[in-house]
Amino acid sequence: MNNNHTTTPQSKQTIDSLWRLEKIILDTLNFKDVVQRICDSVLSELGYLQLGYRIVVLALIDESTNVLKRISISQTPEAQKALEITPVPFQNIDIPMNYSENICIKAIEESKPYVTHDWKDILLPSYNNEEARKIQEIIGIHTSVVYPITYHGKSRGVMIFSMVKSEEEMSEEEKDLIRGYTDVVGIAVQNARLYSDLEETSKRLDEANKKLKELDKLKDEFVSLASHELRTPMTAVKSYTWLVLNNKSGEITPKTREHLEKVYNSTERLIHLVNEMLDISRIEGGRVQLKLEALDLVQLAREVKDEFAPRASEQNLVMEIETDGKISPAAGDRDKIHQVLVNLVGNSFKFTQSGGRVSISVRLKDNMVEVGIEDTGIGIAKEDQERIFQKFGRVEGSLVISKIGGTGLGLYLSKQYIEMHGGKIWFESEPGKGSTFTFSLPLYTGN
Amino acid sequence: MDENLKKRILIIEDDEYLRDLYMEILTAEGFMVDQAVDGEEGYQAVTRGGYDLVLLDIMLPKKDGIAILRDLAQNPPEGKNKVIVVLSNLGQESVIAEAVKLGARGYMIKSEMTPEQTVNEVKRYLAEST
Repeated sequence: MNNNHTTTPQSKQTIDSLWRLEKIILDTLNFKDVVQRICDSVLSELGYLQLGYRIVVLALIDESTNVLKRISISQTPEAQKALEITPVPFQNIDIPMNYSENICIKAIEESKPYVTHDWKDILLPSYNNEEARKIQEIIGIHTSVVYPITYHGKSRGVMIFSMVKSEEEMSEEEKDLIRGYTDVVGIAVQNARLYSDLEETSKRLDEANKKLKELDKLKDEFVSLASHELRTPMTAVKSYTWLVLNNKSGEITPKTREHLEKVYNSTERLIHLVNEMLDISRIEGGRVQLKLEALDLVQLAREVKDEFAPRASEQNLVMEIETDGKISPAAGDRDKIHQVLVNLVGNSFKFTQSGGRVSISVRLKDNMVEVGIEDTGIGIAKEDQERIFQKFGRVEGSLVISKIGGTGLGLYLSKQYIEMHGGKIWFESEPGKGSTFTFSLPLYTGN
Repeated sequence: MDENLKKRILIIEDDEYLRDLYMEILTAEGFMVDQAVDGEEGYQAVTRGGYDLVLLDIMLPKKDGIAILRDLAQNPPEGKNKVIVVLSNLGQESVIAEAVKLGARGYMIKSEMTPEQTVNEVKRYLAEST
């Protein structure tokens, strides 16, 4: 037998036949289908049954257990019969890789074909000599040839062709074809294996993803329900405190008022905190949908200035709006950008002393609208600057106990909202002199 | 005040303290106020109809506010209610949109309102409807 099975010249007919076989076994990527087709197609497609071939078997190395495992067998009457009378189920015919008395193992080790007239050579040690001989006789097999299957230069298994004729009756063309075929089988098996692995992995990922989504939904429902449940008693605390503070239950002493104001402010802070946590849960779950519109930021800045006017006079702060000319509208979600502005201006109010100034500037720069909130406050200490946009990254030194705020979530939330818009947010600060927070938003283009 | 005396308001609210609160601040304004403690009671009252304003909570035992609005839309009561406004602590935009689609005139988040703001909003809705 020609040992050098990779360089055998192939006739045109062989090449045609090989091409047909390749097409059949490479047509599917499902591992089970591929290995079945590998065994069947030589017999059914090329009519090798007429040439005396009866059983084709594919066996592959299982690297985890280091055995050669039977994988598939042709769907021929002889194969069926062998499966019926076998003393060992087909799937259990495992040949240890170190059992070199079996010619399958030899074929793999030496990367060359082997031929035998004795089935014990391909069935030991799963069968004993007697069992192997008996079955071979019943089925009527004369010769079995074993071809290694290689891929990337490494042996992956064998194909066993069992026939009723002798080795001498095999034509060069048949041998040629089988050699060429086993080369293709190596590729097909490897592809199908990779694909099946991939399919299995992606199935598992899909399942994991589904579970995560369910969990996320549960979390969302929980946060939403919890925030509702928290808001109800907080509304009662806030409202009844308000009634007392507004003398609806009679006059109160200045000291009682002072204490109740703290109750009231704390309740407001709690409500605000719950709202922000709910917002964050929605953002992080990807459930926030922006409602983009053509947003006039100068107008929005004026509205925010008006909202802060009572606090400005209370804290003796000057508020200004600076803008140069007409500013094109930005693409923004009104509620979200309003929330960001209120948050940033609120921060400036918290950290700016009486007599100071808070100004909002709106400018066009590099095809973006830039909004800056500048204050003459105490600034941000160097050590605090890094974590300012983190959750609960609050800095110390708030000058005023704010009516709303101090949750430590506002800047984090602002950053998320601005970035969702495709904008940026940043700050410059000099301790003792003040801070400027700036965010940018893309221009509105109508889409 | 005299005008208010003729106005009938229904509060559908399961939380006792909040129900008391709305009763207190609205009756103080001279309104005639009825109350319902759960969704079923609320639905019965609302189908009797004749209210100038219904303040409807969303999360309610027995029948939630959205279900009430849906049933009202399908079987409008004979004695019409002029305005239904949602007064809830559930702030999801999807719920708000649903309520408005089903006929609610407006939506108030309880925790965002002071009693004074609630009263002012109630007056505004009543003024709109007359």
